[in-house]
Amino acid sequence: MTDGTIITLISLGVTFLFMLGVPVFLVIAYWVIGCSFVLNLTLDNLGAELLNVFNKGFALLAMPLFILTGDLINKSGIARRLSDFAYACLGWLRGGLAMASLGACGLFAAISGSNSATTATIGSMLHPEMVKGGYDERFSAATAAAGGTVGIIIPPSIIFIVYGFLMNLPISDLFVAGILPGALMVIGMQFACWIICRMNGWGYLIPLQLNRVLKTAFGAWLGFFAIGLVLWGIYTGKFSPTEAAGVTVGFCIIAGLLSWVVSRMFRLDGTKPWNEKSYLSMLVVEGFTIPEIPGIVMRSAQITGILAPLIAISVVMQQILSLLGAQEVIGDFLTSMGGYYPVLFTAMLIVFFSGMILESLPVTIILAPILAPIAASVGVDPVHFSVIFLVGASIGFITPPYGLNLYVASGVTGVPYFRLLKYTVPYLIALISVWVLVSLVPDLALALLPNR
Amino acid sequence: MSIMTDVGEIFSAVASNDAWMIRESLQSNAAWYLGTVVALLGGLALAAMYRALPFVERHLERTIMVVAYLAVALIIFWGVIDRFVFSSQLPWSTTIPPLLFMIMAWFGATYNVALRTHLSFSEFRSRMPRAGQFACLMLDAVLWFVFSVIVMVTTARAAALSASNFQIVLGTDNTLQWWFLITAPIAFLLMAARTFQNLFEDIANWRSGRPLIKQAVIGGDV
Repeated sequence: MTDGTIITLISLGVTFLFMLGVPVFLVIAYWVIGCSFVLNLTLDNLGAELLNVFNKGFALLAMPLFILTGDLINKSGIARRLSDFAYACLGWLRGGLAMASLGACGLFAAISGSNSATTATIGSMLHPEMVKGGYDERFSAATAAAGGTVGIIIPPSIIFIVYGFLMNLPISDLFVAGILPGALMVIGMQFACWIICRMNGWGYLIPLQLNRVLKTAFGAWLGFFAIGLVLWGIYTGKFSPTEAAGVTVGFCIIAGLLSWVVSRMFRLDGTKPWNEKSYLSMLVVEGFTIPEIPGIVMRSAQITGILAPLIAISVVMQQILSLLGAQEVIGDFLTSMGGYYPVLFTAMLIVFFSGMILESLPVTIILAPILAPIAASVGVDPVHFSVIFLVGASIGFITPPYGLNLYVASGVTGVPYFRLLKYTVPYLIALISVWVLVSLVPDLALALLPNR
Repeated sequence: MSIMTDVGEIFSAVASNDAWMIRESLQSNAAWYLGTVVALLGGLALAAMYRALPFVERHLERTIMVVAYLAVALIIFWGVIDRFVFSSQLPWSTTIPPLLFMIMAWFGATYNVALRTHLSFSEFRSRMPRAGQFACLMLDAVLWFVFSVIVMVTTARAAALSASNFQIVLGTDNTLQWWFLITAPIAFLLMAARTFQNLFEDIANWRSGRPLIKQAVIGGDV
């Protein structure tokens, strides 16, 4: 039997393990171990790489810190204030609460950098209200799942950090490049949501009140400040993305602790509706206490304990794929497609179909080093390609069979996985339209970058 | 016979506390046999300890993860304040956090084995008949255990290599890298223990007729 045949059998074997429900981390690990035997590679490489991946880059540290930021703004009540503001702005439209939920996902994503944190936070917060507000519970869960996709496109973003770390691109440039496409994704999904809600007559309308918009905006000032801090620090080059993440974590902890003290000192009732609160009391969120911090950190640590090992093992898998010559094979295939657009669209199709069966981190780690150089060779700007690649990878969060956000949304809303699939279709259409638009118009990614 | 001799050499190298000798002795195939025995006996012993001391069972990995996480955040946050306010920066503020991140990642991986929250496509498994589900859970246990052994041995070798080269953490005068790297094989030993713990729970569930597969919620049990 040739090496190629054995590796094909190993690949089929691990695919079978995946279908049996074996964790993705183990599926990739056993593929790596199997291929190492075939290629006569020592397994010591595996152990060494599982340690070295973390030592190689300070940049990768931004990932756990932005996950923690998400949990801190959720626990402190800042996320709730952001969603209140989004609802005050959009509640007058048919499907306003669902659209506000998507808007809140966008705002939350601008402080956190995780798709699953975005889906879990906004889903658990707004799903019950959407169901109470007359929306179909499956549509509501699908909205949370779809909204979470922008978590990794609107900066800061975990996947942009991993992409920049792998491809040696400035992460701050990638973050800036994600702003407009991320905003377009939110607007595209809101448009799809509006059409669906109009067709079904879902949701109650609330009048658009300037006072309510202003008051809720005032109440969300800590969230806006955190967004501004991240963007200002990265855009002006004052902080690296990792430092921006550290500063945001520090800011959220201080804001959360101080808010708790102030709200107790002045006996501010956080549960009162907006119209019963004064502007001054809107300034303070619920906050948290020092003993609550380990619990918040633990939640983030658990998510990091899932994602970081997945990154490490995917890096080893990518190395094996390089040894197997995957880059040349895919490169030859793509170059045979012809020029700029055929290569670009074939690469996009590869990302899309990979996203259906793999988590976005392995997709990025395995495919980006293969596809990015080929795209660059036909003239696609590396930063533009990173955005195209990652928007495609983010769509994978809501495509079956392996759509991580669908699982998270199903977990936090209690709607079974298969029942919400149908309701993701309008969002998928919107996201794919935005994806194609971003790929056709490089300025959508590059316009905010002065040096490109 | 030569395997036993090589195992003896590993023990004598560890007893001599000589990093170079440890590195050399771990290169032999005996490391795999010894690693398997350590993972098996150590894992079972730790699983028994978890049973006897529920407080340790609940807090061991969690404490390590939280302390490492907060240390990373604090060092980076302080690094920025130090630079902007005091115009200085600790030289190790960018080199220690990645090592702490590594510790957090592998203890986190172990913790997620305990909670069974590693990402997976479980739609088919949850629809299988009971015997099929049980077989899948046994398969998981075997795969986790074998993987734990492989990574325990290979990361122990990497830590020994680092120790024998006296690799110092950049930006420090005398902090050795292996002090951090050695936590990886320890984390995988704990992973073996968690695998046994899950295995015993699955067997007990199978015998008693309780549901075998429960919906795992990420961030649910924290």
